Amino acid sequence: MSNSSDADVISLRGEKVGYSVAVVGLGTTGGHIIKQLLATSVESRPARICLIDKRPERVSTAAAVIRAANSAALVQSGGLSSGQVAITVGQADDPADAFHSSHIAILATDCGSHAALAIDALRSGCHVVSMSDRPEEVDDLLVLDSLARHHERSLVVGAGMAPGLSCLLARFAGNQLDSVLAINVAKAGTAGPACARQHHRALKSSGRDWVGHRWEYRRGGSGRDLAWFPEPIGPRDCYRGALPSPILLQRQYPDAQRISARVSATRRDRFTSRLPMLRKPHQDGGPGAIRVEVRGRRDGAVETIVLAVAAFPSESAAAVSVEAAQSVLAGMAAHGAHGLASWPDPGAVLSELRRRGVAIFTFGDDRFRSEAG
Amino acid sequence: MLMLARRVVAALSFAGLTAALFRLRGQGGVAQQQGGWRELTDVELIGR
Repeated sequence: MSNSSDADVISLRGEKVGYSVAVVGLGTTGGHIIKQLLATSVESRPARICLIDKRPERVSTAAAVIRAANSAALVQSGGLSSGQVAITVGQADDPADAFHSSHIAILATDCGSHAALAIDALRSGCHVVSMSDRPEEVDDLLVLDSLARHHERSLVVGAGMAPGLSCLLARFAGNQLDSVLAINVAKAGTAGPACARQHHRALKSSGRDWVGHRWEYRRGGSGRDLAWFPEPIGPRDCYRGALPSPILLQRQYPDAQRISARVSATRRDRFTSRLPMLRKPHQDGGPGAIRVEVRGRRDGAVETIVLAVAAFPSESAAAVSVEAAQSVLAGMAAHGAHGLASWPDPGAVLSELRRRGVAIFTFGDDRFRSEAG
Repeated sequence: MLMLARRVVAALSFAGLTAALFRLRGQGGVAQQQGGWRELTDVELIGR
């Protein structure tokens, strides 16, 4: 560790409780992860956040945000009341150092480094939440299932907006049906620059669709489909691409006839997808949305449930990763590597996400209203 | 020339009659006038 946590401790009552979380990658989404951790209820807040990023200025910015929140907490609690402990800030040049002293690691770095980081973290006895949205990397992470089980730890794969929130919505809709026949995921918008680069890569790469109980590889940018998202996104043309949601959903619904995912793109996006990115990506590519359409049978009839979220992908992905981390620490996740489609109670997680400002929409019917009532 | 004109008139008449038939007797129904996106509440998410 380059900076010991002890030098930074600001404790309201001098006691150390709670858990320690390592946040690897402090870009646009990583910054929102810090804010979401700080916005967590007092009893669920981490006692220590270890910040890891290649760029020192990002670490300084995140540390300043945490210290400001600590100061506000000190003022609010009047010094020694309320029993809450202010969050300690740690920094590490080498993620492996941070993993040894953390209960859980949230990986929000660029795609490509998650599998190696996850191996280090699991071997250090640390749970892992990965936000990778690259299909090959999702495959690599799922292979770590036996390692995670061996160390009795959970490795949550694809805990972002899509995959992640898309998996939770699909599972929630699937729970309303007797059997699931087809799942279609559509996504619009990007989070930070790393997400935008992955979006660019996805459009030029082959996508994997589960069709008739086997994988079919389809050319990226093909298969135009008009998807209607909640406002302010509205209708967008969506295309196939290298998207990992079907990989994670197929593990939960292997008997489905069709599982596919598409991503929104303009004519220019498709035209330039074969070229290097011609200009620097936006710092935040939101607002965006995801839409999950699940078709299945219930009481002998075929029904379709459509769920969606319209939000900034960076904010909603951060909220999903933090909720996933808290669910793991609460013992709600089994050991091993799995996506959020295997989460036992997706409704509870979606409800918590709603409290964090992620509104969940359904299209048209009153199915949920009548059943809940 | 007259034959061509007759065929054009016949074709247009047939097209018009067919369109009128579909327009007046069609069973296409009316597009959905209500519904749309609706936010799920906590009760709907965890109430089951």
